[in-house]
Amino acid sequence: MPLSVGLQRSCLFKTVNEILFSFRTVTVKSSFEKMNAIEISGLKKSFGDVEALAGIDLTLREGEFFGLLGPNGAGKTTLINSLVGLVRPDNGSVTIFGHDIQRTPFEAKRHLGLSPQDVNINTFMPIEKILQFQGGFYGLPWGASKKQAQKLLEQFGLWDKRKGGRHQLSGGMQKRLMIARALMGSPQVLILDEPTAGLDVELRHELWTFLDALRAQKVTLLLTTHYIDEAEQLCDRVAIIHHGKIIACDTPAQLIAHHSASGVKNSKNRFVRPGSLEAVFVNLTGQTIAEEHT
Amino acid sequence: MIRWIPFASLIQQEVFRFWRLIRQTVFPPIITTLLFILIFGYSLGSRIQEISGLSYIVFIIPGLLAMGVTNNAFANTTTSIYMAIFDRSMDNLLAAPLHPFELVLAFALGGIVRAILIGLIILMVAILMLHVTVAHPLLLGLYLLGSATFFSCWGIISALRAKTWDSLATTTNFVITPMTYLGGVFYSIQLLPPLWQKISLANPLFYMVDGYRYAMTGVSDVSWNISLAITGVLSFSFFGLCIYLFRTGYRLVR
Repeated sequence: MPLSVGLQRSCLFKTVNEILFSFRTVTVKSSFEKMNAIEISGLKKSFGDVEALAGIDLTLREGEFFGLLGPNGAGKTTLINSLVGLVRPDNGSVTIFGHDIQRTPFEAKRHLGLSPQDVNINTFMPIEKILQFQGGFYGLPWGASKKQAQKLLEQFGLWDKRKGGRHQLSGGMQKRLMIARALMGSPQVLILDEPTAGLDVELRHELWTFLDALRAQKVTLLLTTHYIDEAEQLCDRVAIIHHGKIIACDTPAQLIAHHSASGVKNSKNRFVRPGSLEAVFVNLTGQTIAEEHT
Repeated sequence: MIRWIPFASLIQQEVFRFWRLIRQTVFPPIITTLLFILIFGYSLGSRIQEISGLSYIVFIIPGLLAMGVTNNAFANTTTSIYMAIFDRSMDNLLAAPLHPFELVLAFALGGIVRAILIGLIILMVAILMLHVTVAHPLLLGLYLLGSATFFSCWGIISALRAKTWDSLATTTNFVITPMTYLGGVFYSIQLLPPLWQKISLANPLFYMVDGYRYAMTGVSDVSWNISLAITGVLSFSFFGLCIYLFRTGYRLVR
Protein backbone atom coordinates (compact mmCIF):
# COMPACT_ATOMS: atom_id res chain seq x y z
CA MET A 1 0.00 0.00 0.00
CA PRO A 2 1.56 3.31 -0.98
CA LEU A 3 1.69 5.94 1.67
CA SER A 4 -0.61 8.74 0.55
CA VAL A 5 -0.62 12.13 2.09
CA GLY A 6 -3.13 14.87 1.25
CA LEU A 7 -1.18 18.02 0.58
CA GLN A 8 -2.81 21.41 0.69
CA ARG A 9 -1.23 24.33 -1.12
CA SER A 10 -2.48 27.83 -0.62
CA CYS A 11 -2.29 30.71 -3.10
CA LEU A 12 1.27 31.80 -3.68
CA PHE A 13 0.39 34.73 -5.88
CA LYS A 14 -2.00 37.37 -4.84
CA THR A 15 -2.53 39.46 -7.94
CA VAL A 16 -4.71 38.44 -10.84
CA ASN A 17 -1.89 38.89 -13.30
CA GLU A 18 0.34 36.41 -11.56
CA ILE A 19 -0.60 32.96 -12.64
CA LEU A 20 -1.74 30.50 -10.22
CA PHE A 21 -1.69 28.19 -7.50
CA SER A 22 -4.91 26.81 -6.39
CA PHE A 23 -5.21 24.74 -3.28
CA ARG A 24 -5.42 21.23 -4.44
CA THR A 25 -4.90 17.77 -3.14
CA VAL A 26 -2.23 15.58 -4.65
CA THR A 27 -0.94 12.17 -3.84
CA VAL A 28 2.61 12.21 -2.58
CA LYS A 29 4.57 9.02 -2.29
CA SER A 30 7.94 8.52 -0.74
CA SER A 31 10.79 8.35 -3.25
CA PHE A 32 11.26 4.58 -3.11
CA GLU A 33 7.62 4.12 -4.11
CA LYS A 34 7.91 6.27 -7.23
CA MET A 35 6.49 4.63 -10.31
CA ASN A 36 6.42 5.48 -13.96
CA ALA A 37 3.71 7.98 -14.78
CA ILE A 38 3.64 7.13 -18.48
CA GLU A 39 5.06 4.10 -20.26
CA ILE A 40 4.95 3.98 -24.03
CA SER A 41 6.04 0.82 -25.74
CA GLY A 42 6.41 0.12 -29.47
CA LEU A 43 3.75 2.67 -30.37
CA LYS A 44 2.90 2.76 -34.07
CA LYS A 45 0.21 4.65 -35.93
CA SER A 46 -0.34 5.27 -39.63
CA PHE A 47 -2.94 7.40 -41.36
CA GLY A 48 -3.25 5.84 -44.80
CA ASP A 49 0.25 5.86 -46.28
CA VAL A 50 1.56 8.35 -43.74
CA GLU A 51 3.39 6.77 -40.83
CA ALA A 52 2.78 9.23 -37.98
CA LEU A 53 4.37 7.11 -35.25
CA ALA A 54 7.00 4.58 -36.26
CA GLY A 55 7.60 2.71 -33.00
CA ILE A 56 7.85 4.98 -29.97
CA ASP A 57 9.35 3.75 -26.70
CA LEU A 58 9.35 6.26 -23.90
CA THR A 59 9.00 6.38 -20.14
CA LEU A 60 8.08 9.41 -18.03
CA ARG A 61 8.84 9.16 -14.34
CA GLU A 62 6.41 10.40 -11.75
CA GLY A 63 6.94 14.09 -11.00
CA GLU A 64 9.15 14.59 -14.04
CA PHE A 65 8.95 17.64 -16.30
CA PHE A 66 9.34 16.18 -19.76
CA GLY A 67 9.69 18.09 -23.03
CA LEU A 68 8.77 16.76 -26.45
CA LEU A 69 10.28 18.62 -29.36
CA GLY A 70 9.89 18.01 -33.04
CA PRO A 71 9.28 19.75 -36.35
CA ASN A 72 5.74 20.17 -37.62
CA GLY A 73 4.31 16.82 -38.68
CA ALA A 74 6.87 14.88 -36.63
CA GLY A 75 4.14 13.05 -34.70
CA LYS A 76 3.96 15.05 -31.44
CA THR A 77 0.20 15.60 -31.45
CA THR A 78 -0.51 12.05 -32.62
CA LEU A 79 1.60 10.79 -29.73
CA ILE A 80 -0.24 13.02 -27.26
CA ASN A 81 -3.62 12.00 -28.63
CA SER A 82 -2.57 8.35 -28.24
CA LEU A 83 -1.86 9.03 -24.56
CA VAL A 84 -5.39 10.29 -23.90
CA GLY A 85 -7.21 7.77 -26.07
CA LEU A 86 -8.12 10.08 -28.95
CA VAL A 87 -5.95 8.06 -31.34
CA ARG A 88 -6.07 4.29 -31.42
CA PRO A 89 -2.58 2.96 -32.12
CA ASP A 90 -1.98 0.25 -34.72
CA ASN A 91 0.60 -1.37 -32.45
CA GLY A 92 2.13 -0.94 -29.06
CA SER A 93 0.78 0.20 -25.73
CA VAL A 94 0.44 3.21 -23.46
CA THR A 95 0.01 2.93 -19.72
CA ILE A 96 -0.74 5.75 -17.29
CA PHE A 97 0.32 4.83 -13.76
CA GLY A 98 0.06 1.20 -14.79
CA HIS A 99 -3.36 1.49 -16.46
CA ASP A 100 -3.48 0.65 -20.16
CA ILE A 101 -5.24 3.47 -22.01
CA GLN A 102 -6.90 1.04 -24.45
CA ARG A 103 -7.87 -1.72 -22.02
CA THR A 104 -8.74 0.31 -18.93
CA PRO A 105 -9.31 3.80 -20.33
CA PHE A 106 -11.43 5.02 -17.45
CA GLU A 107 -8.77 4.28 -14.82
CA ALA A 108 -6.01 5.72 -17.01
CA LYS A 109 -7.84 8.94 -17.88
CA ARG A 110 -8.60 9.75 -14.26
CA HIS A 111 -4.92 10.68 -13.85
CA LEU A 112 -4.71 12.86 -16.96
CA GLY A 113 -5.33 16.48 -17.81
CA LEU A 114 -4.89 17.70 -21.37
CA SER A 115 -4.52 21.18 -22.78
CA PRO A 116 -4.52 20.51 -26.53
CA GLN A 117 -2.83 22.39 -29.32
CA ASP A 118 -6.06 23.24 -31.15
CA VAL A 119 -8.87 25.04 -29.38
CA ASN A 120 -11.57 22.57 -28.36
CA ILE A 121 -13.86 24.70 -26.22
CA ASN A 122 -17.61 24.12 -26.25
CA THR A 123 -19.25 26.81 -28.37
CA PHE A 124 -22.53 26.91 -26.47
CA MET A 125 -21.26 27.32 -22.91
CA PRO A 126 -20.19 30.31 -20.85
CA ILE A 127 -16.62 29.68 -19.80
CA GLU A 128 -17.59 29.51 -16.12
CA LYS A 129 -19.90 26.58 -16.88
CA ILE A 130 -17.24 24.88 -19.00
CA LEU A 131 -14.97 24.62 -15.96
CA GLN A 132 -17.77 23.67 -13.57
CA PHE A 133 -18.95 20.83 -15.79
CA GLN A 134 -15.37 19.70 -16.32
CA GLY A 135 -14.93 19.34 -12.57
CA GLY A 136 -18.08 17.23 -12.52
CA PHE A 137 -16.71 14.93 -15.24
CA TYR A 138 -13.84 14.15 -12.86
CA GLY A 139 -16.19 13.49 -9.96
CA LEU A 140 -15.97 16.87 -8.22
CA PRO A 141 -19.26 17.69 -6.44
CA TRP A 142 -21.06 20.76 -7.81
CA GLY A 143 -20.19 23.14 -4.94
CA ALA A 144 -16.52 22.17 -4.93
CA SER A 145 -16.38 22.37 -8.71
CA LYS A 146 -17.85 25.87 -8.65
CA LYS A 147 -15.30 27.00 -6.06
CA GLN A 148 -12.41 25.43 -7.95
CA ALA A 149 -13.61 27.02 -11.22
CA GLN A 150 -13.76 30.47 -9.61
CA LYS A 151 -10.27 30.10 -8.20
CA LEU A 152 -8.79 29.03 -11.51
CA LEU A 153 -10.64 31.69 -13.49
CA GLU A 154 -9.33 34.36 -11.13
CA GLN A 155 -5.83 33.02 -11.21
CA PHE A 156 -5.75 32.81 -14.99
CA GLY A 157 -7.17 36.32 -15.34
CA LEU A 158 -10.44 35.13 -16.87
CA TRP A 159 -12.90 35.94 -14.10
CA ASP A 160 -14.23 39.05 -15.84
CA LYS A 161 -14.98 36.95 -18.92
CA ARG A 162 -16.74 34.15 -17.08
CA LYS A 163 -20.22 34.85 -18.47
CA GLY A 164 -19.06 35.04 -22.09
CA GLY A 165 -18.46 32.29 -24.63
CA ARG A 166 -15.24 31.22 -26.28
CA HIS A 167 -15.68 33.70 -29.14
CA GLN A 168 -15.31 36.57 -26.69
CA LEU A 169 -11.84 35.37 -25.73
CA SER A 170 -8.59 36.19 -27.48
CA GLY A 171 -6.36 33.34 -28.66
CA GLY A 172 -4.17 33.64 -25.56
CA MET A 173 -7.21 33.63 -23.28
CA GLN A 174 -8.53 30.49 -24.95
CA LYS A 175 -5.17 28.81 -24.30
CA ARG A 176 -5.35 29.84 -20.65
CA LEU A 177 -8.90 28.57 -20.39
CA MET A 178 -7.88 25.16 -21.73
CA ILE A 179 -5.06 24.93 -19.19
CA ALA A 180 -7.48 25.90 -16.41
CA ARG A 181 -9.93 23.29 -17.67
CA ALA A 182 -7.19 20.63 -17.68
CA LEU A 183 -6.52 21.44 -14.03
CA MET A 184 -10.13 21.03 -12.90
CA GLY A 185 -9.63 17.30 -12.37
CA SER A 186 -6.44 17.85 -10.29
CA PRO A 187 -4.48 15.59 -12.66
CA GLN A 188 -1.34 13.72 -11.67
CA VAL A 189 -0.17 13.97 -15.28
CA LEU A 190 -0.66 17.27 -17.10
CA ILE A 191 -0.15 17.22 -20.85
CA LEU A 192 0.39 20.60 -22.46
CA ASP A 193 0.48 20.68 -26.25
CA GLU A 194 2.01 24.04 -27.13
CA PRO A 195 0.46 25.91 -24.21
CA THR A 196 2.42 29.11 -24.77
CA ALA A 197 1.68 29.55 -28.48
CA GLY A 198 -0.03 32.91 -28.85
CA LEU A 199 0.85 34.14 -25.36
CA ASP A 200 2.90 37.30 -24.89
CA VAL A 201 6.29 37.13 -23.18
CA GLU A 202 4.99 38.21 -19.79
CA LEU A 203 2.24 35.59 -19.76
CA ARG A 204 4.68 32.94 -20.95
CA HIS A 205 6.96 33.65 -18.02
CA GLU A 206 4.03 33.60 -15.60
CA LEU A 207 3.02 30.26 -16.98
CA TRP A 208 6.56 28.96 -16.51
CA THR A 209 6.37 29.98 -12.85
CA PHE A 210 3.08 28.18 -12.54
CA LEU A 211 4.42 25.03 -14.20
CA ASP A 212 7.41 25.06 -11.88
CA ALA A 213 5.01 25.22 -8.97
CA LEU A 214 3.09 22.25 -10.32
CA ARG A 215 6.34 20.34 -10.61
CA ALA A 216 6.99 21.08 -6.94
CA GLN A 217 3.68 19.36 -6.22
CA LYS A 218 4.95 16.20 -7.98
CA VAL A 219 2.65 16.62 -10.94
CA THR A 220 4.16 14.93 -13.98
CA LEU A 221 4.31 17.37 -16.88
CA LEU A 222 4.58 16.60 -20.57
CA LEU A 223 5.17 19.71 -22.65
CA THR A 224 5.43 20.23 -26.38
CA THR A 225 6.55 23.64 -27.47
CA HIS A 226 7.91 25.60 -30.37
CA TYR A 227 9.87 27.81 -27.96
CA ILE A 228 13.05 25.84 -27.52
CA ASP A 229 14.29 28.04 -24.67
CA GLU A 230 11.17 26.99 -22.78
CA ALA A 231 12.11 23.32 -22.95
CA GLU A 232 15.72 24.10 -22.11
CA GLN A 233 14.79 26.05 -18.99
CA LEU A 234 11.89 23.99 -17.69
CA CYS A 235 12.37 20.37 -18.58
CA ASP A 236 14.18 17.67 -16.64
CA ARG A 237 14.44 15.62 -19.82
CA VAL A 238 13.73 16.33 -23.46
CA ALA A 239 12.92 13.95 -26.31
CA ILE A 240 13.25 14.92 -29.94
CA ILE A 241 10.80 13.26 -32.28
CA HIS A 242 11.35 13.21 -36.03
CA HIS A 243 9.43 11.27 -38.68
CA GLY A 244 7.52 9.46 -35.94
CA LYS A 245 10.61 8.25 -34.06
CA ILE A 246 12.37 9.39 -30.93
CA ILE A 247 15.84 10.28 -32.19
CA ALA A 248 17.23 11.55 -28.90
CA CYS A 249 16.12 11.59 -25.29
CA ASP A 250 18.11 12.92 -22.37
CA THR A 251 18.54 15.88 -20.04
CA PRO A 252 19.03 19.19 -21.86
CA ALA A 253 22.62 19.35 -20.57
CA GLN A 254 23.44 15.85 -21.87
CA LEU A 255 21.83 16.52 -25.22
CA ILE A 256 23.81 19.73 -25.59
CA ALA A 257 27.01 17.98 -24.55
CA HIS A 258 26.57 15.23 -27.12
CA HIS A 259 24.88 16.87 -30.08
CA SER A 260 25.77 20.56 -30.36
CA ALA A 261 29.51 20.66 -30.71
CA SER A 262 29.48 23.32 -33.40
CA GLY A 263 27.25 26.12 -34.53
CA VAL A 264 25.15 25.30 -37.57
CA LYS A 265 23.11 27.15 -40.12
CA ASN A 266 19.53 26.23 -40.68
CA SER A 267 17.70 26.17 -43.98
CA LYS A 268 17.09 29.93 -43.79
CA ASN A 269 20.82 30.43 -43.36
CA ARG A 270 20.38 31.77 -39.84
CA PHE A 271 23.24 31.01 -37.50
CA VAL A 272 22.25 28.90 -34.51
CA ARG A 273 24.19 29.39 -31.30
CA PRO A 274 26.39 26.37 -30.47
CA GLY A 275 25.91 24.83 -27.07
CA SER A 276 22.16 25.35 -27.14
CA LEU A 277 19.24 22.98 -27.35
CA GLU A 278 18.33 24.64 -30.63
CA ALA A 279 21.69 23.59 -32.04
CA VAL A 280 20.96 20.03 -30.91
CA PHE A 281 17.61 20.17 -32.65
CA VAL A 282 19.10 21.52 -35.88
CA ASN A 283 21.92 18.99 -35.85
CA LEU A 284 19.51 16.10 -35.39
CA THR A 285 16.61 17.16 -37.62
CA GLY A 286 18.24 19.52 -40.12
CA GLN A 287 15.76 22.28 -39.33
CA THR A 288 14.73 24.61 -36.54
CA ILE A 289 11.43 24.77 -34.80
CA ALA A 290 11.46 28.56 -34.82
CA GLU A 291 11.66 28.93 -38.58
CA GLU A 292 8.51 26.89 -39.06
CA HIS A 293 6.71 28.68 -36.32
CA THR A 294 7.35 32.26 -37.42
CA MET B 1 -22.41 1.23 -13.29
CA ILE B 2 -23.20 4.91 -13.62
CA ARG B 3 -21.16 7.32 -11.52
CA TRP B 4 -23.65 9.98 -10.58
CA ILE B 5 -21.59 13.16 -10.35
CA PRO B 6 -20.02 12.86 -13.84
CA PHE B 7 -23.31 11.64 -15.27
CA ALA B 8 -25.30 14.47 -13.67
CA SER B 9 -22.74 16.98 -14.98
CA LEU B 10 -23.15 15.61 -18.51
CA ILE B 11 -26.93 15.86 -18.33
CA GLN B 12 -26.76 19.35 -16.86
CA GLN B 13 -24.52 20.35 -19.74
CA GLU B 14 -26.95 18.95 -22.29
CA VAL B 15 -30.03 20.53 -20.72
CA PHE B 16 -28.23 23.83 -20.17
CA ARG B 17 -27.32 23.90 -23.88
CA PHE B 18 -30.88 23.78 -25.18
CA TRP B 19 -32.30 25.83 -22.31
CA ARG B 20 -29.86 28.63 -23.08
CA LEU B 21 -31.22 28.68 -26.64
CA ILE B 22 -34.86 28.44 -25.62
CA ARG B 23 -36.05 30.79 -28.36
CA GLN B 24 -34.63 28.39 -30.94
CA THR B 25 -35.25 25.10 -29.22
CA VAL B 26 -38.50 25.25 -27.27
CA PHE B 27 -40.69 28.10 -28.51
CA PRO B 28 -40.78 27.38 -32.29
CA PRO B 29 -42.37 23.90 -32.10
CA ILE B 30 -44.99 25.22 -29.71
CA ILE B 31 -45.83 28.08 -32.05
CA THR B 32 -46.01 25.66 -35.00
CA THR B 33 -48.48 23.47 -33.10
CA LEU B 34 -50.55 26.51 -32.16
CA LEU B 35 -50.73 27.48 -35.81
CA PHE B 36 -51.85 23.97 -36.77
CA ILE B 37 -54.56 24.15 -34.12
CA LEU B 38 -55.71 27.56 -35.39
CA ILE B 39 -55.77 26.44 -39.03
CA PHE B 40 -57.27 22.98 -38.61
CA GLY B 41 -59.25 23.64 -35.45
CA TYR B 42 -60.88 26.93 -36.18
CA SER B 43 -60.55 27.41 -39.95
CA LEU B 44 -60.30 24.36 -42.23
CA GLY B 45 -61.24 21.77 -39.64
CA SER B 46 -64.96 22.48 -39.75
CA ARG B 47 -65.00 21.67 -43.48
CA ILE B 48 -63.35 18.25 -43.02
CA GLN B 49 -65.44 15.21 -42.13
CA GLU B 50 -64.97 13.34 -38.89
CA ILE B 51 -62.37 10.54 -38.95
CA SER B 52 -63.06 7.41 -36.88
CA GLY B 53 -65.72 9.37 -35.02
CA LEU B 54 -63.34 12.17 -34.03
CA SER B 55 -63.40 15.79 -35.15
CA TYR B 56 -60.46 16.46 -37.45
CA ILE B 57 -58.52 18.63 -34.98
CA VAL B 58 -58.90 16.06 -32.20
CA PHE B 59 -57.80 13.38 -34.67
CA ILE B 60 -54.59 15.21 -35.59
CA ILE B 61 -53.61 16.45 -32.10
CA PRO B 62 -51.83 13.16 -31.17
CA GLY B 63 -49.95 13.33 -34.47
CA LEU B 64 -48.92 16.93 -33.83
CA LEU B 65 -47.74 15.89 -30.39
CA ALA B 66 -45.74 13.00 -31.86
CA MET B 67 -44.32 15.32 -34.52
CA GLY B 68 -43.17 17.87 -31.91
CA VAL B 69 -41.61 15.19 -29.73
CA THR B 70 -39.80 13.24 -32.43
CA ASN B 71 -38.52 16.22 -34.41
CA ASN B 72 -37.13 17.92 -31.32
CA ALA B 73 -35.53 14.79 -29.90
CA PHE B 74 -33.77 14.30 -33.25
CA ALA B 75 -32.80 17.97 -33.63
CA ASN B 76 -31.39 18.16 -30.11
CA THR B 77 -28.95 15.30 -30.36
CA THR B 78 -27.89 15.99 -33.96
CA THR B 79 -27.04 19.60 -33.11
CA SER B 80 -25.38 18.79 -29.82
CA ILE B 81 -23.21 15.95 -31.14
CA TYR B 82 -22.39 17.53 -34.48
CA MET B 83 -21.40 20.84 -32.87
CA ALA B 84 -19.29 19.00 -30.31
CA ILE B 85 -17.45 17.28 -33.16
CA PHE B 86 -17.27 20.52 -35.17
CA ASP B 87 -15.81 22.65 -32.35
CA ARG B 88 -13.78 19.66 -31.08
CA SER B 89 -15.24 19.84 -27.60
CA MET B 90 -16.11 16.17 -28.14
CA ASP B 91 -12.36 15.47 -27.84
CA ASN B 92 -12.47 16.96 -24.35
CA LEU B 93 -15.34 14.64 -23.39
CA LEU B 94 -13.57 11.61 -24.87
CA ALA B 95 -10.34 12.45 -23.03
CA ALA B 96 -12.23 12.68 -19.73
CA PRO B 97 -12.87 9.58 -17.59
CA LEU B 98 -16.40 9.05 -18.89
CA HIS B 99 -17.84 5.71 -19.98
CA PRO B 100 -19.45 5.44 -23.45
CA PHE B 101 -22.66 4.38 -21.72
CA GLU B 102 -22.68 7.55 -19.62
CA LEU B 103 -21.99 9.71 -22.65
CA VAL B 104 -24.70 8.14 -24.80
CA LEU B 105 -27.29 8.13 -22.03
CA ALA B 106 -26.59 11.80 -21.24
CA PHE B 107 -26.78 12.88 -24.88
CA ALA B 108 -29.97 10.86 -25.37
CA LEU B 109 -31.50 12.24 -22.17
CA GLY B 110 -30.77 15.78 -23.33
CA GLY B 111 -32.95 15.10 -26.37
CA ILE B 112 -35.56 13.22 -24.34
CA VAL B 113 -35.90 16.01 -21.77
CA ARG B 114 -36.33 18.65 -24.49
CA ALA B 115 -38.79 16.48 -26.43
CA ILE B 116 -40.92 15.61 -23.42
CA LEU B 117 -40.91 19.22 -22.23
CA ILE B 118 -42.23 20.32 -25.62
CA GLY B 119 -44.66 17.39 -25.69
CA LEU B 120 -46.11 18.35 -22.31
CA ILE B 121 -46.50 21.99 -23.33
CA ILE B 122 -48.26 20.95 -26.56
CA LEU B 123 -50.50 18.65 -24.56
CA MET B 124 -51.37 21.43 -22.11
CA VAL B 125 -52.17 23.78 -24.99
CA ALA B 126 -54.44 21.13 -26.58
CA ILE B 127 -56.19 20.45 -23.29
CA LEU B 128 -56.74 24.15 -22.61
CA MET B 129 -57.76 25.19 -26.14
CA LEU B 130 -59.61 22.11 -27.38
CA HIS B 131 -60.60 20.41 -24.13
CA VAL B 132 -59.13 17.11 -25.36
CA THR B 133 -58.72 14.32 -22.83
CA VAL B 134 -56.15 11.59 -22.46
CA ALA B 135 -57.74 8.14 -22.48
CA HIS B 136 -54.63 6.21 -21.34
CA PRO B 137 -52.13 8.53 -19.61
CA LEU B 138 -49.61 5.82 -18.67
CA LEU B 139 -49.57 4.51 -22.21
CA LEU B 140 -49.07 8.05 -23.51
CA GLY B 141 -46.10 8.40 -21.15
CA LEU B 142 -44.57 5.20 -22.53
CA TYR B 143 -45.03 6.36 -26.13
CA LEU B 144 -43.52 9.76 -25.28
CA LEU B 145 -40.50 8.11 -23.71
CA GLY B 146 -40.10 5.46 -26.41
CA SER B 147 -40.44 7.76 -29.39
CA ALA B 148 -38.20 10.44 -27.83
CA THR B 149 -35.54 7.82 -27.08
CA PHE B 150 -35.68 6.38 -30.59
CA PHE B 151 -35.34 9.76 -32.28
CA SER B 152 -32.70 11.01 -29.84
CA CYS B 153 -30.58 7.96 -30.60
CA TRP B 154 -31.23 8.27 -34.32
CA GLY B 155 -30.02 11.87 -34.01
CA ILE B 156 -26.80 10.70 -32.33
CA ILE B 157 -26.16 8.19 -35.11
CA SER B 158 -26.91 10.75 -37.83
CA ALA B 159 -24.57 13.30 -36.27
CA LEU B 160 -21.78 10.73 -35.99
CA ARG B 161 -22.23 9.76 -39.64
CA ALA B 162 -22.51 13.31 -40.97
CA LYS B 163 -19.42 14.83 -42.53
CA THR B 164 -20.99 18.22 -43.19
CA TRP B 165 -23.97 20.31 -42.08
CA ASP B 166 -25.36 19.59 -45.53
CA SER B 167 -25.37 15.83 -45.00
CA LEU B 168 -27.03 16.35 -41.65
CA ALA B 169 -29.75 18.47 -43.24
CA THR B 170 -30.17 15.80 -45.93
CA THR B 171 -31.27 13.28 -43.30
CA THR B 172 -33.70 15.77 -41.81
CA ASN B 173 -35.14 16.97 -45.11
CA PHE B 174 -35.24 13.74 -47.09
CA VAL B 175 -35.87 11.13 -44.41
CA ILE B 176 -37.30 12.57 -41.20
CA THR B 177 -39.70 15.12 -42.70
CA PRO B 178 -41.30 12.76 -45.28
CA MET B 179 -41.54 10.05 -42.61
CA THR B 180 -43.31 12.49 -40.33
CA TYR B 181 -45.84 13.73 -42.86
CA LEU B 182 -46.46 10.24 -44.27
CA GLY B 183 -46.72 8.72 -40.81
CA GLY B 184 -50.45 9.29 -40.44
CA VAL B 185 -50.26 12.61 -38.60
CA PHE B 186 -52.96 14.18 -40.78
CA TYR B 187 -54.91 11.13 -41.94
CA SER B 188 -55.87 7.57 -41.12
CA ILE B 189 -54.11 5.00 -43.29
CA GLN B 190 -57.55 3.39 -43.76
CA LEU B 191 -58.20 6.25 -46.20
CA LEU B 192 -55.22 5.28 -48.36
CA PRO B 193 -55.18 2.85 -51.33
CA PRO B 194 -54.03 -0.69 -50.32
CA LEU B 195 -50.50 -0.25 -51.70
CA TRP B 196 -49.93 2.95 -49.71
CA GLN B 197 -51.38 1.33 -46.62
CA LYS B 198 -48.69 -1.36 -46.89
CA ILE B 199 -45.97 1.23 -47.47
CA SER B 200 -47.17 3.18 -44.42
CA LEU B 201 -46.77 0.04 -42.30
CA ALA B 202 -43.04 0.12 -43.07
CA ASN B 203 -42.75 3.60 -41.57
CA PRO B 204 -41.76 3.36 -37.89
CA LEU B 205 -43.18 6.79 -37.16
CA PHE B 206 -46.63 5.54 -38.18
CA TYR B 207 -46.67 3.18 -35.17
CA MET B 208 -45.66 5.99 -32.82
CA VAL B 209 -48.32 8.38 -34.16
CA ASP B 210 -50.90 5.61 -34.04
CA GLY B 211 -49.86 4.73 -30.49
CA TYR B 212 -50.15 8.36 -29.37
CA ARG B 213 -53.60 8.49 -30.99
CA TYR B 214 -54.74 5.37 -29.17
CA ALA B 215 -53.35 6.63 -25.85
CA MET B 216 -55.17 9.94 -26.23
CA THR B 217 -58.43 8.99 -27.97
CA GLY B 218 -58.75 5.22 -27.80
CA VAL B 219 -58.82 5.11 -31.62
CA SER B 220 -56.07 3.51 -33.72
CA ASP B 221 -55.36 1.88 -37.07
CA VAL B 222 -53.30 -0.99 -35.63
CA SER B 223 -53.27 -2.60 -32.21
CA TRP B 224 -51.63 -0.37 -29.54
CA ASN B 225 -49.48 -3.20 -28.21
CA ILE B 226 -47.94 -3.82 -31.64
CA SER B 227 -47.14 -0.11 -31.85
CA LEU B 228 -45.66 -0.12 -28.35
CA ALA B 229 -43.58 -3.23 -29.06
CA ILE B 230 -42.18 -1.72 -32.27
CA THR B 231 -41.43 1.59 -30.52
CA GLY B 232 -39.71 -0.25 -27.67
CA VAL B 233 -37.64 -2.53 -29.89
CA LEU B 234 -36.51 0.38 -32.06
CA SER B 235 -35.60 2.50 -29.02
CA PHE B 236 -33.53 -0.22 -27.37
CA SER B 237 -31.87 -1.21 -30.66
CA PHE B 238 -30.84 2.32 -31.53
CA PHE B 239 -29.67 3.00 -27.98
CA GLY B 240 -27.54 -0.15 -28.13
CA LEU B 241 -26.17 0.87 -31.52
CA CYS B 242 -25.20 4.29 -30.12
CA ILE B 243 -23.29 2.67 -27.27
CA TYR B 244 -21.54 0.36 -29.72
CA LEU B 245 -20.52 3.33 -31.90
CA PHE B 246 -19.16 5.28 -28.93
CA ARG B 247 -17.41 2.22 -27.54
CA THR B 248 -15.68 1.55 -30.84
CA GLY B 249 -14.94 5.25 -31.37
CA TYR B 250 -16.76 5.39 -34.70
CA ARG B 251 -15.69 8.67 -36.36
CA LEU B 252 -14.58 9.90 -32.93
CA VAL B 253 -11.27 8.17 -32.32
CA ARG B 254 -8.72 8.49 -35.10
